[in-house]
Amino acid sequence: MKGAISKFRRSMISWPKPREDVRFSACHYCDTLHEAPPVREGKSARCARCGGLLYENQPASLRRASAFSLAALMLMALGHVFPFLIMDAATLQKKLTLVGAAMSLMADGFQALGIAIFLFTMVAPLLLAGGMIYVCLPLMFGRAAPGAFLVAKWMYISEPWNMVEVFLLGVLVSLLKLAKVADVHFGVGFWAFAGVMLCTAAAVSGIDREELWDRLEVAKL
Amino acid sequence: MNSRFPKAADRGLAGCRTCGKVSPVTMGCCPRCGTHLHLRKPDSIRNTVALMIAATILYIPSHLLPIMTVVELGDVTHNTIISGMMTFWRTGAYPIAIVIFTASILIPLLKIIALSWLCAAATGKVHPSPKTLGRLYWFTELLGRWSMIDIFVVGILVSIVQLGNYMSITPGLGAIAFAGVVLLTMFAAMSFEPRLLWDRLDDMNPAAPDAPVEAATLESGS
Ligand SMILES: [Zn+2]
Ligand SMILES: [Zn+2]
Repeated sequence: MKGAISKFRRSMISWPKPREDVRFSACHYCDTLHEAPPVREGKSARCARCGGLLYENQPASLRRASAFSLAALMLMALGHVFPFLIMDAATLQKKLTLVGAAMSLMADGFQALGIAIFLFTMVAPLLLAGGMIYVCLPLMFGRAAPGAFLVAKWMYISEPWNMVEVFLLGVLVSLLKLAKVADVHFGVGFWAFAGVMLCTAAAVSGIDREELWDRLEVAKL
Repeated sequence: MNSRFPKAADRGLAGCRTCGKVSPVTMGCCPRCGTHLHLRKPDSIRNTVALMIAATILYIPSHLLPIMTVVELGDVTHNTIISGMMTFWRTGAYPIAIVIFTASILIPLLKIIALSWLCAAATGKVHPSPKTLGRLYWFTELLGRWSMIDIFVVGILVSIVQLGNYMSITPGLGAIAFAGVVLLTMFAAMSFEPRLLWDRLDDMNPAAPDAPVEAATLESGS
């Protein structure tokens, strides 16, 4: 009974906070300074002035972030093996892969564009999903992986540059463009990356930034 | 009324933009993640304006130069973003034509207009209504990436349409210019400092000297 109560209480308080006198949180939009008490699971703290999100406590955050980023990584591997589009024109069959799209732009002398595709559709999603699992999986056992602080930092830097969903819409537009000259259809790679998009979104929303860093700080001590 | 809300910057405290930890700005780097600490992004307005001017200049050639060249049975056609959109419109593919119009023509323009307005508001030239403009800023940051779609389409078509003498596609200089527009507007949005809007609002309604400096209470809820 006592164990059940303490377990219940532990679920009511939020993630472990580093030991400090008073915790502060500054709103990213208006810089209003707040005292930052822990919030219950499923609750979020919002700025008293502008209503912007300060931090939130997601239920089962580490498990969700680890599981979804692992799924995203596996789907990503699948998406690199199978083509996004398959085109049958006359006797030829052409396949589109992510690497192929970046390489052909480089081969035509447009290195900058090839590198942009490479960074936005391959490197950024990998940093995001890979970084998330590298940081969150050991945290589930209360440990910080070596270099976890650097990985977490790069994970957040790569976030706005992850353009998987934009690329997928581009594949759809290309399919419609080609439909009048050839027989084109989606390959497994397209659906795999659609999965990558959903799993990455679920993994990122699974854990709050403040919570992740607090847990890292506690694990390091 | 605004004096009710204490600012972190007024106490020399800076919220880390990577991890959110609030530390004295005199520490230089965030003690938790090592990111440089600033009360406000340095030279925010100057950088945003410079990047935006560069984007505006590039916007013109990005629509005049071909983004790709199609060679079909010896016939060479140069495609611009607008001609690609028109082809979809003529063939009745209205939703796709609208998507391309929005992503490639409208969003970059709206972004440049929105950021100009934000910079004017942050320097006090127009009224800084931070709640509305804050939402506008959030929107420009969210939408900007979708403009990359045309660049991805070029990459996809160049890669897959290599059918020897029958048909082939090569990328054009317009694609470089347009990618430049998208990246410059993204960097411009990132270098803008939305907290300046609230700073201007507080300049207009100076706090009473005996204003309370207690941290504002938290509103909880999902
Ligand atoms: Zn706020
Ligand atoms: Zn930090």
